[in-house]
Amino acid sequence: MSDHERMAGGSNLPEGQIELSEEYRERLLLAQRTDAEINAAVLRPMMETGPKFWIIVTTLVAIILWGLYAWGYMIYWGMGTAGINNPVYWGLFIATFIFWVGISHAGTMISAVLRIFKADWRRPITRGAEAMTAFALLMAGLYPFIHLGRVWKFYWMLPYPNNRFMWPNFQSPLMWDMVAIFTYLLGSSLYLYLVLIPDLAMARDHTVGWRYKLYRTLALGWRGTEGEWHKLHRALNIFSVIIIPVFLSVHSIVAWDFAVTIQPRWHSSILAPYFIMGAVYSRLAALATILVIVRKSMRLEEFLRREHFDALGKLVLVAGLGWIYFWFAGFIVEWYGNDPVIRELIHDEVTGKLAPLFWLQMTANILPVIFLAFRKIRTNLKWLLGLTLLINVGMYTERVLIVVGNLQRNYLPFDWGTYKPTWVEISIVAMTFAGFILLYTLFSRIVPYVPVWEIKEGRLRYSLRRIGRLWVPTAAEID
Amino acid sequence: MAKAARTSAEQKQEEKNRRWGMVIDLDRCTGCQACVVACHAENNVPVVGEQEAARGHSMHWIRIERYWEGEYPNVKARFMPVLCQHCGEAPCEPVCPVFATYHTPEGLNAQVYNRCIGTRFCGSACPYKVRSFNWFRPDFPEPLDQQLNPDVSVRQRGIIEKCSFCVQRIRRAELDADASGREVEDGEVQPACVQSCPPSALIFGDLNDPESEASQLARSRRAFRLLDFLGTDPAVVYLKGGETNV
Amino acid sequence: MEDTMNLMGLFRDSTETAQVLDSLYELGMLDRQVTVMTGVPYPERSLGRHVEWLQLPNIVLAGALVGFFLGLFLAVITPHLYRLDIGGHPIVGFPPAAVITFVFTMMATIVSTFVGVLWEMNFPEFSPKYYDKRVTDGYLVVLVEHNHSEESLVRKIFEQHGCDSIHIPERQPL
Repeated sequence: MSDHERMAGGSNLPEGQIELSEEYRERLLLAQRTDAEINAAVLRPMMETGPKFWIIVTTLVAIILWGLYAWGYMIYWGMGTAGINNPVYWGLFIATFIFWVGISHAGTMISAVLRIFKADWRRPITRGAEAMTAFALLMAGLYPFIHLGRVWKFYWMLPYPNNRFMWPNFQSPLMWDMVAIFTYLLGSSLYLYLVLIPDLAMARDHTVGWRYKLYRTLALGWRGTEGEWHKLHRALNIFSVIIIPVFLSVHSIVAWDFAVTIQPRWHSSILAPYFIMGAVYSRLAALATILVIVRKSMRLEEFLRREHFDALGKLVLVAGLGWIYFWFAGFIVEWYGNDPVIRELIHDEVTGKLAPLFWLQMTANILPVIFLAFRKIRTNLKWLLGLTLLINVGMYTERVLIVVGNLQRNYLPFDWGTYKPTWVEISIVAMTFAGFILLYTLFSRIVPYVPVWEIKEGRLRYSLRRIGRLWVPTAAEID
Repeated sequence: MAKAARTSAEQKQEEKNRRWGMVIDLDRCTGCQACVVACHAENNVPVVGEQEAARGHSMHWIRIERYWEGEYPNVKARFMPVLCQHCGEAPCEPVCPVFATYHTPEGLNAQVYNRCIGTRFCGSACPYKVRSFNWFRPDFPEPLDQQLNPDVSVRQRGIIEKCSFCVQRIRRAELDADASGREVEDGEVQPACVQSCPPSALIFGDLNDPESEASQLARSRRAFRLLDFLGTDPAVVYLKGGETNV
Repeated sequence: MEDTMNLMGLFRDSTETAQVLDSLYELGMLDRQVTVMTGVPYPERSLGRHVEWLQLPNIVLAGALVGFFLGLFLAVITPHLYRLDIGGHPIVGFPPAAVITFVFTMMATIVSTFVGVLWEMNFPEFSPKYYDKRVTDGYLVVLVEHNHSEESLVRKIFEQHGCDSIHIPERQPL
């Protein structure tokens, strides 16, 4: 009898308990599938790509090429081809930058934080979340280049001894940005890759041709010896612990881009935690969106089950409540203080020209919180998809309002301005969205999307046990 | 990489302990915009045209802010020239990632055009919004290109620029004074705007020299500074007009 | 020195595998002669092998220190190298220096963890090794390097504990 057959309680169960235990067994994958079948189920979507896949890829590549053209156009003719002006020096580019940095926190939350808390439901979704992090950071990392007036001189921001005898200014939040995002990108990519190695070995063992060559190179000769597992585990533990302060600091640093200036409504100490909370909210929602879509398109229904979406939905709910709290905590202080410029800014945002965006933001962020309180909705995937998309629309609007709305009104009323994005900005923003989706789609087809070894490891922990008249699943306390 | 000590020029500046500043008498300002034009001419600032100005891309280093007070027929216009205040505690300086803007020992907020990579962080951080950005390639249609000032570089697209208190004129005056073996006299240095103001509403001088006209006016009862409560320590002092509540 | 040969046995059960290993140790096999390959990480001492001491934590610590000093250098020393005064702030302030030092420490820790773990595992290694593809299908593979004379003993131990298949492995390119 193999390990998991024994854990499943064998076949000597009393009549009335068979259905219940069947449900548990299905949930925990106990004895439902052998390891070989799991491998095959995960590898199958990687091998089969239908025409829909290629249509999507072509469309995305077209959008990206158009965006690259727009970027080249902007570099050649100048930043004035975008909608930014005096005084709104920063516009859609920086807003999207913050949005992507926010989205990028998904992986850390799921794979690092939940790993430390030993929450087992994270197992099938960690790789999808980590991939989200890496690709969102890649897209975010484009924006510091895109919004530079003289992008060809970007290397002056790199700290290395040079013949100009000049070092960059480390007091500038943009330098912290650069370093922090690079660190986070490095960390999450390396983490993603390390966890991937055993699964690449599995893929190597089951494929032929160019795939075999690819996985063989990437698997680095992994065999699964005890020493290798032990070292991998150690490294993953260290990574999980290290990446948490990194991700907290990255988004705080991005928030400090704004909070260290004396621009009204930017200069507030709550901006950093507010941004982090907003990021948690939007990234978990984005993760849920992506998981619903991937589950359908890659037919991973048995790995991404209702209870995963239920748990994820609960996290989104908590994050949403947290966001509402932080937004209100900032808002009440500003409203009560009655500083004339801030009062004008709030008035402009709530009832003035920006009002449609503001109310869109509030509805799109608060309404889902109410709905997600119900389990029926959390586990109904269509509703979950719609609600989480709405959340991300709301969070994107919030970023735009913070960057653009607060630059439009200044201390001297003569300097007030307006902002309207042009085709250049919209094309470039669309390019990064298309880039993210394309990278993610290609990733999910080239690499096993579900972390197979982690699922099998999880299976090792569970068994069915009898308590009184019930057979219940029990989890072992192994690491 | 040399451990660069202070250059001798900077050492001299430190010894002199100057603080260049400007006094703007709002009682005299008529809003004629001569200073704006003179600044454009002196500093090779391109004119962007009506359409771009409507989009917010105008590049005036000094602008006349006009506020209307009252209802018709009792309307009054108040004029206030606003230029870079050369703040002692400038919020724009720490935020530049490449040190393109820094504070000279003689009190100028310097902008190094060649170093700027165009992040526009300084523009967002400035509370007076006096920093202009080169949104496009500068355009000097003929024969304006014959009129460019050789003492000032022409900036390419993607660079932030702003009032420099006509630092080229300050340097010229200092060089002349050095060559003649004397000190720079009060009133010898006149930025373009100061030189061209018909009612002499702008006065430029050393605020640290108690004898200079600028510092004497700065101590007047009518003196105030723009957005003083922010703590930026501007070097531009305004004198209230007769009825002004600015 | 007698010639050594290798035997590979495939098992499905962790308890049986642990018993196999116990029996092999009773026979007098050394740790380095026995290799266990699994597709799933089993808890550290469950198969009866001793846990090897890792250099990884030391590598990580060293990396963190390097990063700390690099960040400190960049944040505190470089502003003095070509001095440019910034209005309103000292040349070196505590908050920016703290941020930069922290981030560089983290960066170096991450890089040293990754490089350290690869170095300790001797990756990448593409030379042909003893392996069986069925490891990833859920088998526990026990690979024993032993003298020719012990072959029948090892085979008996394998068969006694429900081995699914025994064979003499060949080096495969991985």
